[in-house]
Amino acid sequence: MLAVDMAGETIRALNGSMVAYEGQMTFKRQGMTGGEGLRGAIRRRVAGESITLMEVTGHGTVYLAQEATEVTLVQLAGDTLFVESDSLLALDGQLQTGVQFIGLRGMGTGQGLATTKVEGYGTVALLSDGPAIALEVTPGVPLCVDPHAYVGHRGQLQQDIVTDVNWRTVMGQGSGESVQFRYQGHGLVYVQPAERGGMLEI
Amino acid sequence: MQTFNPATLPANDNVNPYAFCVDLNGQWFTQKGKMIAYYGQIRFEALSAGPLDQLVAASFHSPLYAHDWIVAQGQGKLLLADRAFDVNSYDLDAGNLTIRAANLLAFEPGLELKQSIIPGFLTLIGTGRFVAASNGPVHFVEPPIRVDPQALLGWADCPSPCHHYDHSYMRGVLGAARMLFGVGGSSGEEHQFDFTGQGTVLLQSSEVVADSDTMLRDLEGQISSLGAPGLTRLQSVISQRLAAERS
Repeated sequence: MLAVDMAGETIRALNGSMVAYEGQMTFKRQGMTGGEGLRGAIRRRVAGESITLMEVTGHGTVYLAQEATEVTLVQLAGDTLFVESDSLLALDGQLQTGVQFIGLRGMGTGQGLATTKVEGYGTVALLSDGPAIALEVTPGVPLCVDPHAYVGHRGQLQQDIVTDVNWRTVMGQGSGESVQFRYQGHGLVYVQPAERGGMLEI
Repeated sequence: MQTFNPATLPANDNVNPYAFCVDLNGQWFTQKGKMIAYYGQIRFEALSAGPLDQLVAASFHSPLYAHDWIVAQGQGKLLLADRAFDVNSYDLDAGNLTIRAANLLAFEPGLELKQSIIPGFLTLIGTGRFVAASNGPVHFVEPPIRVDPQALLGWADCPSPCHHYDHSYMRGVLGAARMLFGVGGSSGEEHQFDFTGQGTVLLQSSEVVADSDTMLRDLEGQISSLGAPGLTRLQSVISQRLAAERS
């Protein structure tokens, strides 16, 4: 659960994630465009990376939670965080959100072809099934991640897909770990200690 | 927030209560889909891969589960986790331990894997380390004890358990009514596993078990020993059950 102390500012949070509040709060569901303008809304619709956020404004403390999962706070200082849309709980009002097309990345894992981009200055609250683990990537030390356990990443990272698909995979004799994301460069990758159910066994 | 890199990740120890880091230098058996991330040069091979024949012949004696397991080989740090369950590692020193198949994440090739007599369980024999998951912390208790089948995680050094049924459940008018209509009075605790002898029993703190078709595969594996009369009878039992389920 996340407690946010507010003194008149605005935050954005996942629709329906408020479990309690003290003080004076107003909740406003964001319109169709979700603060990203009409073009942003169209991109999001096309990408299937839908999130429904609400604006919370007021004085006091608001408590946010979702499915009793763990919350990780990430501080952004002008850099960009990429996160799965279903792992986003709340963010500071000043942060910008958008959709980033990734390419073939989400194929078969049910995560779509795009990811949500958060940039600016402020705090982002991430949801994860079990506490998230932050893994460093430095030049010469790449990291491979199971797509089902991926939560988000930040920094100057190149992402590519490592496939180990061979005739055995086709015959249903695969290793079950045939597709991984590989990150190279300089940054941080967040993973969760659980695997989301995918549509496709890979 | 603490961040990790290959140098700061623990070697063969827990990263947090829900994730385990293997310092891989050689080969480990791991269950499919339990790898969440890795650093270094690691390859994942199905057990059917040709070059692994010798390793599989020496350490893996369960064709029923061969499809669920792979071998991670190479060098690096390998992170394992399972459904955000608690993860623990255990050392065996010329010992034996039986564990619920779905909860075993990985083991060193120094251990031999065999199928337990109890469906859905695997036995590890030898010397080495293995990693297992439990829903909530693990409790170690000593026999004599009766445990709920779903809460049972495994057992070490003691004889395999037998079934225990509550006598009054199957007796009398109420019992007959329950059998007929499947309603009323059932507490859900009429069936336990009964352990006796010397050893240790491992329990998890909940009754959550993974959906797995191990029971079904176990039954399928035994069908071949039935013969034509047995199969005919099984067929009639199954069609009766199917008719009852549909109505």
